Amino acid sequence: MNTGGLVLIVGALVGAAASFIWLAWKLENGAGGKKPKLKDQGQLADAAKEDVEHIFNTEFREELRNRGRLHFEKILGENAMFLQQDLRQTTTQLNDYMRAEITRTLQEEFKKYEQSIVDAKQIALDSIEKTVATIEQQRQFLEQQMKSETDAQKKRLVDRFESEMATIVNHYVLQAIGNQIDLSEQMDFILGEMQANKQAIIEDIKRGST
Amino acid sequence: MEVLKLSHSVVSPSDVNRLERELNSLDDFFVAAKARQTGTTMQLPKLTRILNQMAKDNNVNLLEEADRRRLVKALKLAYDQAPTLHISFATEPSPKALERLVVWVRTNIHPQALIQIGLQPSIAAGCFLRTANKTFDMSLRATMKKSEPQLLKLIAGAVDGH
Repeated sequence: MNTGGLVLIVGALVGAAASFIWLAWKLENGAGGKKPKLKDQGQLADAAKEDVEHIFNTEFREELRNRGRLHFEKILGENAMFLQQDLRQTTTQLNDYMRAEITRTLQEEFKKYEQSIVDAKQIALDSIEKTVATIEQQRQFLEQQMKSETDAQKKRLVDRFESEMATIVNHYVLQAIGNQIDLSEQMDFILGEMQANKQAIIEDIKRGST
Repeated sequence: MEVLKLSHSVVSPSDVNRLERELNSLDDFFVAAKARQTGTTMQLPKLTRILNQMAKDNNVNLLEEADRRRLVKALKLAYDQAPTLHISFATEPSPKALERLVVWVRTNIHPQALIQIGLQPSIAAGCFLRTANKTFDMSLRATMKKSEPQLLKLIAGAVDGH
């Protein structure tokens, strides 16, 4: 129920009270409306006074008061009943209104709360996604770095192995057989090598002797 | 005297030097023999096999002073002027192997070439020859170095599983 409804109810109540007052006043003053036409004002006044005294004697007045009181009580009761009904209806409507308002407010608050939870969840998800992306990026960077480092190390080892190949094999041969190689068995190899370098040796000897 | 014929047993300059000293000792003996008193005994010097061989190869009579002088002179000349090859081996060469080497050098390089033997265990096998101005690496290491591409190819093949 809105403010207009309340104004309407209060207006109806005020209207009922005004009509009741008007009716009471009308009943109170109703008998004086129909005065007989008299020629002389004084006579008329006296006659009226007499008539009034005759008609509106004490019993009649009492009777009218009783009837008015009863009617007033009846109207008052009826209006009280209406007022009670209206109040009950108003209370019910107010309850409904309050319930609806509270429900609506609660729903709005719940919606806001739910929205806040959804937003917080989204923020958390975004943050997690960013963290995951950063971790993945770091992982890829580390993987790439480790791969390049491993490749470089491998290349260094291979290069070193290749450059030191003869030394390694020579060292291995030396450790494996050492002094067990008989020089006599090497003479064919040595003389072959010397034969291959024969010309260079002779030239160097000639150059040294001149 | 013709060109000195060096025995195969005479390998290094120190051998030549030793022969020269031995000849000088022999001279000293003959001088002492001339100056000795009659009746005193003298111990005859023992000649080494190398000196005997040298005398035989060069037709030198060691009892003749002039021959000894010629031989000493030739030895000095050889000591001063004969080309010397420094050859290093991983181990001490046996006399037989050394003789074979000397024969080859004097046949193919120079008839009076002298060889200075050295030891260099790190070369494992083969030898390392040094002349006056050059070095010749004829060791196993050098040979392997030359064959390195082939070895790498074999290793690569083994790694690839071919």
